[in-house]
Amino acid sequence: MSLVNFTNKEITCKIVYYGPGRSGKTTNLLYVHSQVPTDRKGKMVSLATTTERTLFFDFLPIELGTISGFSTRFQLYTVPGQIYYNATRKLVLNGADGIVFVADSQARQLDENLESMRNLQENLLAEGVDIRTLPMVIQYNKQDLPSDLILSKEELDETLNFREVPSFKANAIAGEGVFESLKGVSELVLRRLGEEAPG
Amino acid sequence: MTGVRAVEQWAEAPLANFVRESGARLSLLTTTSGQVVAQYGFTRSIDVMAAAALGAGVVASTSLMTQMIGEVGYVKINNRGPGQGIFLAEFDTPRGKYVILAVYGSGSSAGLVQLFFEDLVEEITSSCPAPETRRVILAEDFERELNDNLAALFGRK
Repeated sequence: MSLVNFTNKEITCKIVYYGPGRSGKTTNLLYVHSQVPTDRKGKMVSLATTTERTLFFDFLPIELGTISGFSTRFQLYTVPGQIYYNATRKLVLNGADGIVFVADSQARQLDENLESMRNLQENLLAEGVDIRTLPMVIQYNKQDLPSDLILSKEELDETLNFREVPSFKANAIAGEGVFESLKGVSELVLRRLGEEAPG
Repeated sequence: MTGVRAVEQWAEAPLANFVRESGARLSLLTTTSGQVVAQYGFTRSIDVMAAAALGAGVVASTSLMTQMIGEVGYVKINNRGPGQGIFLAEFDTPRGKYVILAVYGSGSSAGLVQLFFEDLVEEITSSCPAPETRRVILAEDFERELNDNLAALFGRK
């Protein structure tokens, strides 16, 4: 849940990068971290295993600047993608204002993408949140791989994007699509904040 | 001046009293999802967010583990190192659950921090207002401001 301070005119929103294991969620945050000037970002916190797989979450706070007179901050989180870390995924989802679903574009990963999307829906429902009401964008990562290994944006949309949310092609290692995905979810989150009274 | 920076003004006086009485070096009041409500002692607002995220994560995971073994009640953790200690606890208010994180040194103790934590809970419970129902009014062209800010952040301007 976003935190709004009307006295100091500050907004803080929580955006969670969700998706199957090794789809590129941490890579998204690493790219954002590499691009944002030092005075506009905090330390990137990564709770990872010894093999650098996300264990609990990655966290990166960024100062976006002033929007409609409100000093706006985003807190970017990733969840662990591996199936057996569902308990911690649920904890990180708590209070999310928006989701960037990072899908792996490889054809052989389609089932993992679907399972992760289903898992997102279940975990949100367990928190009393309907996935259809939460701001979300989908990022199809690894679009730089050879075309015979990956599915096109249209094919992936057909399978994963049943809500017809904004979707973006990406190559997160090179930064392609990372900015666009963050911009897309930011717009949806802030628009929703303007439509609803904060709880 | 209390030295406390509060995102929500009702939290300033209770946290200032807690810091003064307990002798905590750093203190942080957050929501259970890791949003900062008030803080004392952190120098960069953006670093305080990392502490808030970690604190909320520890409380959330401990809470889940206690449920798994059939225990009920609020999480209260104390970790004492050779030089400094960390006290982390969750508590309920009419406004919802909150988390307090306090770092204390040799000038204080786990007992002292815990003692004044009970006072903090009472003060916050009695002073926090009901949740806000005000709406954020965004400019019609807020997307332009958002896009300009993001572009500047990513060095695209």
